[in-house]
Amino acid sequence: MSTLEVKNLHVAIDTQEEGHQEILKGVNLTMSTGEIHAIMGPNGTGKSTLSETIMGNPTYHVTDGDILLDGKSILNMPVDERARAGLFLAMQYPAEIAGVTNAEFLRAAINARRDDDHQISVMEFLKFLDKNMKILDMDEDMAERYLNQGFSGGEKKRNEILQLMMIQPSFAILDEIDSGLDIDAMKVVAKGVNSMRGDNFGALIITHYQRLLNYIVPDVVHVIMDGRVVKTGGADLAQKLEDEGYAGLRDELGIDVPLVDDHLSTSTTKEG
Amino acid sequence: MKLATTLPIDPEQVTAFSKAHGEPAWMTQIRQTALSRFDDLEFPQFERMNYRNWPLTNTQELTGVDSDPKLLDDIEMFHDDAAGVLIQFGKNTTKTQLDPELAQQGVVFTDIFTAEQKYPELLKQYYMQLAITADANKLTAFHAALMNNGAFVYVPKNVVIKKPLQGFYFQDSTQKQDFVHHLLLIADEGSEVTYLENYQTVGDTPNVANILAEVIAKDNSHVHFSAVDELSATSTTYLNRRGYLMNDAQIDWAIGAMNNGNIISDFDSELKGRGSHAEVNVVAIATGRQVQGIETRVTNYGKKTIGNILQHGVILERATLTFNGVGHIVKGARGSDAQQESRVLMLSNRAIGDANPILLIDENDVMAGHAASVGRVDEQQMYYLMSRGIDKATAERLVIRGFLGSVLMAIPVKAAREQLTATIERKLRDGQTTEND
Ligand SMILES: Nc1ncnc2c1ncn2[C@@H]1O[C@H](COP(=O)(O)OP(=O)(O)O)[C@@H](O)[C@H]1O
Ligand SMILES: [Mg+2]
Repeated sequence: MSTLEVKNLHVAIDTQEEGHQEILKGVNLTMSTGEIHAIMGPNGTGKSTLSETIMGNPTYHVTDGDILLDGKSILNMPVDERARAGLFLAMQYPAEIAGVTNAEFLRAAINARRDDDHQISVMEFLKFLDKNMKILDMDEDMAERYLNQGFSGGEKKRNEILQLMMIQPSFAILDEIDSGLDIDAMKVVAKGVNSMRGDNFGALIITHYQRLLNYIVPDVVHVIMDGRVVKTGGADLAQKLEDEGYAGLRDELGIDVPLVDDHLSTSTTKEG
Repeated sequence: MKLATTLPIDPEQVTAFSKAHGEPAWMTQIRQTALSRFDDLEFPQFERMNYRNWPLTNTQELTGVDSDPKLLDDIEMFHDDAAGVLIQFGKNTTKTQLDPELAQQGVVFTDIFTAEQKYPELLKQYYMQLAITADANKLTAFHAALMNNGAFVYVPKNVVIKKPLQGFYFQDSTQKQDFVHHLLLIADEGSEVTYLENYQTVGDTPNVANILAEVIAKDNSHVHFSAVDELSATSTTYLNRRGYLMNDAQIDWAIGAMNNGNIISDFDSELKGRGSHAEVNVVAIATGRQVQGIETRVTNYGKKTIGNILQHGVILERATLTFNGVGHIVKGARGSDAQQESRVLMLSNRAIGDANPILLIDENDVMAGHAASVGRVDEQQMYYLMSRGIDKATAERLVIRGFLGSVLMAIPVKAAREQLTATIERKLRDGQTTEND
């Protein structure tokens, strides 16, 4: 069993327009493999900041607190080392890379975790790839296309899940994997994630809407507002939010933050 | 060291070399004329490239001794699929091979000295007469006077050669010897040929290389010309490839500029004939402390001619890479099109990169466009690849391979593509290792 702990995490960024800005103001979170956690929260409250910081995006600066994997701080590890240690982030905005095929990239990612004498064979790789692409209902030619190049929004999301299934990390963070997906696509993505469930896998599912959690049922739900986890509960907490909106919870907890949007149920966003 | 402005060579020595190779009198004459003109000629100029301190004309040894073919034993040459192979080492030719069926049809692929004897009419007409002339500048005169090995390709009218002709040309730097190599390729009317050449250096004696390639593409011919240039760090080189295109002819150039020493590469296409067309794809990697200047020029003379230049380069360590892209549309070339794109990626803080689009348009009814950039590896792409566990160096190589891929894909022969891919991979790895010192 592995554990991932976020302790009193404070994160800031420096931007040209706004200067130094504190975004996370003391986040606490503990999860173990075998568990699915969900993080919900209004837009602009720091959900992506939290996931990028856990992964090790150099844009985000930890000013206080710690992130521990199996009890050891990973703050000094660069992103590639964190990945090899077992972390994975399905990104909200994956990069496009021309000239590198999806298949070639996936093989490099798998082999990065293996020593020179145990590189995955082409046959084994192709079989595994084929199996996972079938689960995700992906066209075969997606393997030979350039990495995310010209992919539609939905294709990019599916491709993130394909990477998750190929790489098999201990902890996956899925950042708004549902945004821009229609209901069928969301079911496919959920099927992929659910196929990973087991004692050696934990996931942190970040979403603005409750809808995805009907398909990937979480063990724990955290609500984040204004850079802090303000409430933690079971799967029913998501349903409560769905019914009452973020404003309801905010007022109940007496938190003083403006909300950009309070409509959890307007979840029919376009593919984009 | 400085460029010698007069040639430190005795005309008698040149005549003796010519005689020893059984050259006809007209060839000896070309050499002597070039030698006598050298002092009066200018050095060629390339914008933003300065080679004044390079010993390009400091000839050391024209003749040298025979090269030991055993030294080539360990060098991998991919040519399983070739219709013809020519291997040259120093001033010697170590292998000549051509599909007998092609020979029957009149195709010629042989060394330049044999060609002088057997095809004097073609050589007299084209050798340094049309594409490149001996009196163009000091470096071409140097070449005409001191040429000491070369290849000749002739494809007769309407002959289509599917499989590639491959030339492997090795500079012998196990000794002091100038490497003055010439290629004359003539594609006669309506013919089509794929030609591939590879330059390498054996040994590490500092030597001068002066390489000229003339490609004559006659009416309606189509030449696929690929090159992998891998001269060593101890070579100082002037390399000029020039296509001369007649009516409706096309040349597709795909060039891997993988040299390790200081070099001026000058790639020219003269679109003389109406409707002629040149596609020029260049990839370059500059490493160590070398300076690579690459000028790719297309000149539209004929009406409705098309020139496309695509150059992508990567710089590591303290190297310098300069791309000039020259699109020149001459008055009267109505309906012509000149496009170019030059991009340079710098992988090190001490790298120096430059991409200069130069458009010279003397006609109104034309299309022309250019794009140029000098930049660094995209941080978002690096982060994304690394977030999947791929280490920084490998991620960098992947991004670069993608960046160079557009040109790689333009190489028609798989063996050459693979060779170039392997060379790129090796150069990047070597450069990355010292990068982190
Ligand atoms: N890379 C960044 N550059 C500038 N501002 C950022 C960046 N990342 C996050 N922010 C700011 O931090 C706040 C939280 O953003 P984010 O973590 O993306 O929220 P969420 O994912 O919950 O919508 C927002 O005000 C956003 O504008
Ligand atoms: Mg977000």
